[in-house]
Amino acid sequence: MHIVDGALSNDVVIAGGILAVGGIALGLKKMDMEKIPAAGIMAATFFVASLIHVPIGPSSVHLIMNGLAGLILGWTAFPALFVGLLLQALFFGYGGVTVLGVNTVAIALPAVLMHYICRTGIRHSNKKVAMFWGALAGGGSIAVTAVLVTIALAITGESFIPAAKLVILAHTPVMAIEGFLCACAVSLIHRVKPELFDSFIPVTAVRHA
Amino acid sequence: MRKFLVLIALLALTTPADAHKVIASAWTDGADIEGEVGLSNGDVALEGTAVEVFDLDDNLLGETKIGKEGLFRFTPTKAIPHKFRANLGAGHVATLIMQVDELPDHLKGETAPVQTPSQSTDQSVAVSGDMQKLVAKAVRKEIQPLRKEIASYKEKNDLQTIMGGIGYILGLTGIAFYMAARCKEKKGE
Repeated sequence: MHIVDGALSNDVVIAGGILAVGGIALGLKKMDMEKIPAAGIMAATFFVASLIHVPIGPSSVHLIMNGLAGLILGWTAFPALFVGLLLQALFFGYGGVTVLGVNTVAIALPAVLMHYICRTGIRHSNKKVAMFWGALAGGGSIAVTAVLVTIALAITGESFIPAAKLVILAHTPVMAIEGFLCACAVSLIHRVKPELFDSFIPVTAVRHA
Repeated sequence: MRKFLVLIALLALTTPADAHKVIASAWTDGADIEGEVGLSNGDVALEGTAVEVFDLDDNLLGETKIGKEGLFRFTPTKAIPHKFRANLGAGHVATLIMQVDELPDHLKGETAPVQTPSQSTDQSVAVSGDMQKLVAKAVRKEIQPLRKEIASYKEKNDLQTIMGGIGYILGLTGIAFYMAARCKEKKGE
């Protein structure tokens, strides 16, 4: 899922960089005291998750865990995932430093998107419904990430449809696993610490819910 | 509880290794450059993938295709650094630069002592030339597994690296706390 250095045209790299800086700034602005430890833990989770590989056919894909980061962090997923990506690029050589912006957007933007789509769903009083929304967030964010990566490659010149099919098909097992993991996480949070999701949204929204 | 057992079983099925890194290497084979492109998990590049050859200013020098087992072959004609670039799709691009001193002998300049044409009447020179090629080929074949092992060793992520990364994240979290606390303090004044 990481795009490597040199695979993209300069325009895409610059545009990705600008978008990423915007997202990170917004995320940092929205990061209050309560969110800092959660952001750190999600960054660590993301950092390590990329080492867990799911073998499929001749190739293998790795977990990304951006859905869960999005559910818990919202916009703060941007700085958290950026840190994770930066360390992966420096330590493991995944991706690269110049394409960091594009990779950040491709991974953090779907997380934020899923946060807004699923944030009421995961706080549903019925645990099964909440788990469904959690699974949706986990799987959906991978799908959106795959589409974003393909778009980035398509602008550079790779043909869109076959590449997209390949990327999305390859990530179907990851989508399933992450959907399952997210559903489990939501179920666990429901049981143990239901206020986790509530504490991260504005007070007015809590009252409505 | 059962869910977690399933989860653990799922995680156990997956192996911590790494793919997604493109590795490429090249060496000389007679008058040609031979190279290999693949992913760090041991997969080689698909047959038929185009390999473009540039000089250092990105002028196209030529093109070749990947054949069997991820190998490609290119005959250089100029004594300049060669840059090889192969797009494996899905964001995997391999680049490899070969400096002048790594090029085949006959390109390294006229001073190369091997196979001077003035002595070509002597048959033994031709034989030793063939011999040299054979030896080079045999040695290359012998060190092939070693090269692969070194490549995979270079890609290894050990526990220290992972711990180091987590340590960095912890430190950054601390800095974030410090900044947040300072902001709060300032607001309080």
